[in-house]
Amino acid sequence: MDIGVRQVSTALQARASQKEATRQRVIDAARDLFDTHGYQGTTIREIARHAGVAVGSVFTTFASKGEILSEVMAGRIAPLYAELDRVMPHLHGPTVDRLRTMFAIHVQFEARHVRLFLSHISAAYDWTHSPGARPYGRNERLKSILRQCLVKGIEDGDIRPDADPAEIGELLMAAYAWTFRLAINEADAPSMIAVMDRQIGLIVEGAAARS
Amino acid sequence: MKHISPNQVSAEAPVRAPTRRALAKQQTRLKVLAAARRLFSEQGYEGATIRDIAAAAGMSTGAVFANFTDKSDLFREIMTDDMEALAVAMRDAAERARTVEDGLLKVFMAGYTFYKTRLQLARAAFSVSWDADGGPTLRGLSSSQAFQELFVEQLTAGVERGELSQESEIKLRSQMLFDAYLANFPQAIFEGWSLDALQARARDQIRILLAGARRG
Repeated sequence: MDIGVRQVSTALQARASQKEATRQRVIDAARDLFDTHGYQGTTIREIARHAGVAVGSVFTTFASKGEILSEVMAGRIAPLYAELDRVMPHLHGPTVDRLRTMFAIHVQFEARHVRLFLSHISAAYDWTHSPGARPYGRNERLKSILRQCLVKGIEDGDIRPDADPAEIGELLMAAYAWTFRLAINEADAPSMIAVMDRQIGLIVEGAAARS
Repeated sequence: MKHISPNQVSAEAPVRAPTRRALAKQQTRLKVLAAARRLFSEQGYEGATIRDIAAAAGMSTGAVFANFTDKSDLFREIMTDDMEALAVAMRDAAERARTVEDGLLKVFMAGYTFYKTRLQLARAAFSVSWDADGGPTLRGLSSSQAFQELFVEQLTAGVERGELSQESEIKLRSQMLFDAYLANFPQAIFEGWSLDALQARARDQIRILLAGARRG
């Protein structure tokens, strides 16, 4: 009896770890495929094939292609945001410079896997995605870092007090996404950062306190 | 995109026969386009297959392929039609504006009003536009670049009227305005915002993006 229970629990554990292994295999395969073929060009069938698992077992873990990509991105950017959480409180100087530093770190990071990031943006327009998908624009970490940065900007008098931090944040995110279109034409990270710097300057100038 | 078979070119056919054939061909194209528009709207770009489109149009896949090289060709044709119609609507709307801000706002709103009734198609277009392969093709279309020019025109008019300074970085600024316009689709329109709420938001965005270019 006792042994029977132990066998069942071992079997459950084995199944759980097998499920986790499948999950990881799917995520790894998906990352490579999105980074090579983009969002449109990648299918769940292909992901399953590259991961060496059945299409059905992909669907037992993920509800949609968008959800797989969200998991890929979440796993990828976790270390980036851990780093930013450490760095941001120590950044000094005008709001425009803090924003420039923050976005430069982002560009530098994403520029290494341009097609993956473009897939992430593209997924924002896929209306078949399930509630579990968090494409570009629904990234709460980036939104909250921007909000903190802009609220401090208002405190410091760099931004108009009646300005809406969420609205300015979205303009910045739109500019950031657009900058990656340059990457389709093979722009490198430094030139994308230069373009982003100009756009940040223009937005912050527009949101600045009137003297 | 016109397909002329060697037969049509070489045969000394009577005048009326090719006309009728051209007419039939034109009707087939229109039927395929109508069916494709409906399916892209219902199933998205990826979900709609040539097979389904053919079935919906009541013809064989072969007949579809005789008129369009592939799905992206079909989609591009629909997008081009829409973008051309929209560019005209935007230009008309902006014509009556007296200030640069007003002109831009009218351009934004003409676009949102246009797509409010065809959101699914807009989503499909955006999804393709961010694709590393399909994107540059779609954005490279002259009808797509016409939008970019429209924003440049509005700012240039602002400079000419003396509202904006000569050093307004028009190219970058119009690009950013266009991008704010586009970003409102996933951030607001697909979330069900009303046209009034969109207008308030667009007005704020335009004000921020123009502030640094104001004269005086």
